[in-house]
Amino acid sequence: MSKIICSAAIRGAHNIVDKAEQKYQEVLDKWGPDHPVGFPNTAYYLPIIYGILGVPVSKLGDVRPVLEKCRSLLPPLVSEKVWLPYLAPTLEAGMATFFAEEIIEAIRYLEYPDFYTKQEDPIGGNIWLGAADDIILRKRGVEFVDGTAPGFAAILGAPPTKEIAAEIAKELQEKNLYVFMCAENNGVRMSEQLVEAGVQIGWPTRLVSFGPDYTATVFAMGFATRAAMSFGGIKPGDFRGNLLYNKNRIFAFAMPLGPVSDEWYANAAGAINWGFPVIADTPIPEILPTGICTYEHVVSNVPHSEIVQRAVEVRGLKVTVSKIDIPVSYGPAFEGERIRKDDLYLECGGGKTKGVELTVSRDLDEVEDGHVEMIGPDLDQIKDGSKLPFAMLIEVAGRQMQEDFEPILERQIHHLVNYAEGIMHIGQRAIMWLRVGKAAVEKGFRLKHLGTIIHAKYHQEFGAICDKVQVKIYTEEAKVDEVLALARKVYEARDKRVDRMTDETEETFYSCTLCQSFAPSHVCIITPERTGMCGAYNWLDGKASYEINPTGPNQPIVKGECIDPVLGKWKGTDEFIFKASRQKFQTASAYSLVHDPMTACGCFECIATILPLCNGVMIVNRDYLGMTPCGMKFTTLAGMVGGGEVTPGFLGVSKHYIASRKFLLAEGGLKRVVWMPQMLKKELEAKLKSRGEELGIPNLFDIIADDTKGTTEEEILPFLEEAGHPALTMESIL
Amino acid sequence: MALEIPKVSYSGKIKEIVLGKGDKALTVGGETSYPFYLFEGQMPLKPRIAMEVYDSPPEDWAPTALEPFADVASDPVAWARKCIDTYGAEMIALQLVSTDPNGENRSAEEAAALTKKVAEAVDVPLIVWGCNNAEKDTEVLKKIAEDCAGRSLMIGPVTEANYKQVGAVAIGYEHTVIASTPIDINLAKQLNILLGNLGVPDGRILIDPTTGALGYGLEYGYSVMERIRMAALTQEDERLQFPMICNLGKEVWKTKEAKQSRDEAPKLGDPAKRGVLMEAITAQLVLAAGADILIMRHPESIALIQDMLNDLLAA
Repeated sequence: MSKIICSAAIRGAHNIVDKAEQKYQEVLDKWGPDHPVGFPNTAYYLPIIYGILGVPVSKLGDVRPVLEKCRSLLPPLVSEKVWLPYLAPTLEAGMATFFAEEIIEAIRYLEYPDFYTKQEDPIGGNIWLGAADDIILRKRGVEFVDGTAPGFAAILGAPPTKEIAAEIAKELQEKNLYVFMCAENNGVRMSEQLVEAGVQIGWPTRLVSFGPDYTATVFAMGFATRAAMSFGGIKPGDFRGNLLYNKNRIFAFAMPLGPVSDEWYANAAGAINWGFPVIADTPIPEILPTGICTYEHVVSNVPHSEIVQRAVEVRGLKVTVSKIDIPVSYGPAFEGERIRKDDLYLECGGGKTKGVELTVSRDLDEVEDGHVEMIGPDLDQIKDGSKLPFAMLIEVAGRQMQEDFEPILERQIHHLVNYAEGIMHIGQRAIMWLRVGKAAVEKGFRLKHLGTIIHAKYHQEFGAICDKVQVKIYTEEAKVDEVLALARKVYEARDKRVDRMTDETEETFYSCTLCQSFAPSHVCIITPERTGMCGAYNWLDGKASYEINPTGPNQPIVKGECIDPVLGKWKGTDEFIFKASRQKFQTASAYSLVHDPMTACGCFECIATILPLCNGVMIVNRDYLGMTPCGMKFTTLAGMVGGGEVTPGFLGVSKHYIASRKFLLAEGGLKRVVWMPQMLKKELEAKLKSRGEELGIPNLFDIIADDTKGTTEEEILPFLEEAGHPALTMESIL
Repeated sequence: MALEIPKVSYSGKIKEIVLGKGDKALTVGGETSYPFYLFEGQMPLKPRIAMEVYDSPPEDWAPTALEPFADVASDPVAWARKCIDTYGAEMIALQLVSTDPNGENRSAEEAAALTKKVAEAVDVPLIVWGCNNAEKDTEVLKKIAEDCAGRSLMIGPVTEANYKQVGAVAIGYEHTVIASTPIDINLAKQLNILLGNLGVPDGRILIDPTTGALGYGLEYGYSVMERIRMAALTQEDERLQFPMICNLGKEVWKTKEAKQSRDEAPKLGDPAKRGVLMEAITAQLVLAAGADILIMRHPESIALIQDMLNDLLAA
């Protein structure tokens, strides 16, 4: 921690504790130790002291041990020649500061009972509200729990002008934050500036004028401390629980505006204990490493125009967008809607024009949240029935964002855009196809609104990974070409990354227990080379799903020591399966259909099973309705295999997994496959051919029998023999 | 050789939840075996039945259902009192149908004022059930929680769409939440996890697995309830070890069969008994699947179920 900050904070803390002791002695002499002292209408005594130390202060005599505690917490002043680490002592000095300030403020209530209005609003000329009573705490605290108010900005001092003050207040209000104000900057206070600027202050507008002095900071901190006790079930005296509750749940930060005095530093050091970082407008030293706070601790010299945005980023506050501001209806009901030729106003992509959509991640400072830009003609500048080249470039940034999540976000464009009434979207990447209907244009829909939709929905559905979203939409040929070139590069890199990823290179796999609702003991293990059997979840989906919804059905599994590389068994996966199947299964192979195959849910895209006569494996997909060589149709097979049971000899597989290098590794891989419906073969043709090459059997694709060759083992065996299918000479599968 | 009957070994226990406050407070839960399997474990606390009270005069009710309440149908407070004084109700469930935005769309303020009146008039535990419109319920239940602070109401349905808002007021004003999910064990578990993460104490969560009426999908709900109990008792699934509540009265009595007259359905027997029996059978089945709290309408079906409970639990 910066030595300058620490020295100042410790100095400030000493001053404040000195002041509290002095005030205390005065009132003790006057009223005696049995005189009641405290904040009005609260069951939490002096809340910071009560919450952190568990000491209920109700009369003057109770104060002395707290002051003694302050003394014992206070580290000696920092001397020039000592170069010890200062973090811990500084934080303790900050804690002592708050205890002392609560005492000072409590004494103020004693000496000047009407100094504060003791209610939600200013009364007459008195704008200072003082500590929130329990009614206010409960009413407002609920908003902190349910997220309607994610947190608060504790502002000390004031910006240079009342206009800037009003601007900062408005920006904070727009982020739904409470603004807790105290202290002065050269005789100027932000609460007073707001009143002068004609802004209404008080709890109802979330602009809370706590008090004129820096000691009123404790009203903000006391509010947070009480919220943890009242809503988090944290017991008085459980300081660790209280501080962690605040760090994890109350998105608060301190914002000193104006020169930072020793006393302000002391208060800032105190706030850091609660995980509340400091964002200053003056050039004080910065403390950037992560530690007590989620991200940076002290960020300084931030211009007033950027200070709110910066504070929100540093505290890790999520933006919430509750309404999608577009002139047409929006919802899943419109997803399947078609725009016919006669209703068509504009068409982009789909082979008619160039079209591309791309989601990429950027650094936080490269993205301006909510920025939607239209480059080129929009719908009101073109004629009915036009065609335009189209590119949508979505740039996202987030602390938890990873490049791996780009394709997952990008894949959402399809349904997100389709949800808009009168808009049709098909395909993705550079084969996207967009149609806008006449009715939508009449209602005022513009291409720019696509950006509005993406911005809102990315925040709503992927808030965990997206902190900022900006969208650029191009309908100028030259610009579209630029995006297209960029997109091609990105797609290539992405595809390579997925290709290179193997089960050996990744340490973490993901589970999927989504289907446990109807298949109670089913546990799917998703690895980079084995997608979920439904085909809907690959490894990256699992990873992103976990980031977005940590309590959901996709949990990370550290694979641990490998038990059998051919069967595909690891210590970590077995332990997970035992737990997640509720002790029903102890183990499962990722790559075998004979030895401990994985459970099957019911949603599998295909079923693989053994054809004993051919010494091989057949695969049938859900869409194939005919008979198969094993004597059962897909539906009959599905009835046998599903429900979370293990059925050796039968396995649910995804189409994608069939072309994986790990496909049925234990049984000899793709070489074992002797039959598939023709439709499935065709669908996988390119992949199967390239796998055949890899395996050194270039004609493998051609020698796999299909329903045109026969639908019984007896019918296909001669074909396989004639073709010299490798399965026939492999070791017995049984 | 004596026959040894195999027994299921249970590792879990359903949490005990206190309903209401004061002398008439009740506790449910505490099971250590499947429902009524008293030879394998304990069911120390009897399942409880709440009688329905509606916030606006019922329309379109079967005469059988309306008859016991005809004199109080337009006064929810009197209705609640009659349930307690005449029919010995151990709990009341106030159904706030009139708040439905597609119906009367009564305001949150009106609903809260009425709830407060009913809450003041009864001393038994009070369930407050919204109109199943998540957005409106949020507004209504928030206001009610605030205005009835400290009365320990059971409020619901709390869904994934509004658990944050309603959960927060339940914490702040000390009520119990009815965590409602659409017949899905995973969603039920997930919602309980989310409520826990929000800070709702375990002692204040009830599961509403969603109940269908006899002949109207009851079997789906039954299976999910069974599954929830299995996970809770034999599979150490801690987030499912909560008592279950079934709002079945209104499901049964809105079916065609419960309403048809003798002329309309001459083959379906005495209409005066038909609805009562349908309600009783539905109740009996959800009890067998693990229900701890039932919300029911007709005094006669309630009497039948009370009889059955006394028989089964006396063994």
